[in-house]
Amino acid sequence: MDLLFGILRFLLATTLLLLMTIPTAFVVIQMELKVIAQMQLRYGPNRVGPWGMFQSTIHGFKFLAKEDHIPDQADRATFTLAPWMVYMAAAMSMLVMPFAPGAIAADFNIGIVYFFAVIGLSVVGLLIAGWASYNKYSLLGGLRSAAQMVSYEIPLTLSVVGVVVLGGTLNFRELIAWQQLHGWMLIWQPVGLGIFYIASLAEINRTPFDMVEADSELVAGPFTEYSGMRFGFFFFAEYVALFIMSGVMTALFFGGWLAPWPFPAQLEGFGGTLYGLLWFFLKSYMFVFVAVWLRATLPRVRVDQLMGMAWKVLLPLAMLNLLVTAGAVLVFNL
Amino acid sequence: MRIPGLGILKGMRQTGRNFWAPKVTRQYPEERPQMPDRWRGRLDLIYDPFGEHKCEVCFQCAQVCPVEAIDMSGFDSQGNRIRYGLPEIYEERKDPNAYRRAGLPAEPMRNVARWDEAIDTAWLGGVIDGFGARPEALIGIFSAVQERYGYLPERALRLISDTMVIHWAQVFGAAGLGGFRLLPTEGHLVTVCRCAACRFAGGDALLSALSDELGIAPGETSNDGAWSLETSDEVAAGAIAPAIRIDTMIYGPLTAVQARHLVAERRKSAAAPARARTASRPS
Repeated sequence: MDLLFGILRFLLATTLLLLMTIPTAFVVIQMELKVIAQMQLRYGPNRVGPWGMFQSTIHGFKFLAKEDHIPDQADRATFTLAPWMVYMAAAMSMLVMPFAPGAIAADFNIGIVYFFAVIGLSVVGLLIAGWASYNKYSLLGGLRSAAQMVSYEIPLTLSVVGVVVLGGTLNFRELIAWQQLHGWMLIWQPVGLGIFYIASLAEINRTPFDMVEADSELVAGPFTEYSGMRFGFFFFAEYVALFIMSGVMTALFFGGWLAPWPFPAQLEGFGGTLYGLLWFFLKSYMFVFVAVWLRATLPRVRVDQLMGMAWKVLLPLAMLNLLVTAGAVLVFNL
Repeated sequence: MRIPGLGILKGMRQTGRNFWAPKVTRQYPEERPQMPDRWRGRLDLIYDPFGEHKCEVCFQCAQVCPVEAIDMSGFDSQGNRIRYGLPEIYEERKDPNAYRRAGLPAEPMRNVARWDEAIDTAWLGGVIDGFGARPEALIGIFSAVQERYGYLPERALRLISDTMVIHWAQVFGAAGLGGFRLLPTEGHLVTVCRCAACRFAGGDALLSALSDELGIAPGETSNDGAWSLETSDEVAAGAIAPAIRIDTMIYGPLTAVQARHLVAERRKSAAAPARARTASRPS
């Protein structure tokens, strides 16, 4: 009976998460359109629906309506597989996302490890996309994106190890419980937070580290040959990944579903789930907003600056941060 | 001291302010700008398909501009610097056209260069009457005037403008056409057409033959001043290529021998003093 219930729960949770990714992408894209427009002293889209609300949705349906073209020489199997892999990497990593107490799809003890393992899969998808397109520029784009994402995965993961060492757990729920007791990780790991934020921007190809796509220069790097909904999946995956990175940053450093001080940090029961959802989404979308804000502010960095930043600044800093954290845990017996 | 990341924060402050700042977008179909009644849009010169200005400095735009806002200068086809604009000196305000524009009865102009040129007004009036004083007859009248004086005296043009009630700008613009001269020149001007059609039909041979006959290179005048040789892109005789123009008369199609013959004939007749061009000008 327990097993049956478990399977049912799992099916329901995964279905809900998969369904959730599409509106999430729409909301994030809409935010990007509107917020960047406002920061450039424009109004942005304001014709489709009230305040132009459905602009991104219409974009999505536009992808559905477009011809889905596969180049003659492309490897059909892998060409078809690539957008699926990238999208699933984003969607699957949502399994361990701690939305609210009682609203975690799979609350298992190595959630953080699982998350970083799965989010890294999108690199494979991008490489496949570049290779399968039978286009040397797509292949180069795929290699560039692999180089960037693999480089930044190292400081990204190392910056989280400090959090894990301090919290003593690899489970998101327990980590949030630790933060409720000791205060948000933000206070304990400010350097880790900075490294995590910069590395996460590069990991999901956001400005100022979006040379992989560089819409205006490269015609979308590895996705050059993709059209229609296949391209739409890459596109969505990117924006879902932005939300996911913001959500994980919320969980790791900003107390997840916990409310800040003047409010009751947590409520009980179903109300508590809703209350947690409210705070989680509020915080997550705040970081999405900051990422969009950065995009409106910063130009792209050069590729050598990007690589230099990863290996010469972030990696040593993350190592040092980990060393100091581990030392402090040993010495003060935290 | 340089603080890493400070520049990013400054930039974000700017974009953050912009986020709340009033927007500059004009919602076009709903919000329409109030244009002044006399707004005529952006003024621009037009170009022909070859990318050349279509403006020929004919002054017609300046002439019709109701507020006299157009001031222009340029070179006419004879290379003379010409200018049209607001009357800047008091005398210029007495220009008949300034009166005409102001709706006042126009009087003959008093401050004209070469005003002292003697013009046979009765004869000119007869010519104009003979053509019926129609604007499209301007070219014919010009031809007659140039035939008599060897060039188009400014006074004659002013008289034509006043008598026929054609804007000075239009008369002057028409006088700038190829074949008319605005300055007195001694002797004959031989123009060899260099348009594509004429060159194709053997215009180069004509030019070298004439150069040889007259003993001068293109663009030069003979030592006694009686003959000048020049080339032009606009003899405008496409159907009779290759063509040459001697003063106002256009001849074509010609062979090199015929061209030599034409010039040689004229040189012979020019040797007779009674036919000398300068002699026909009244004193």
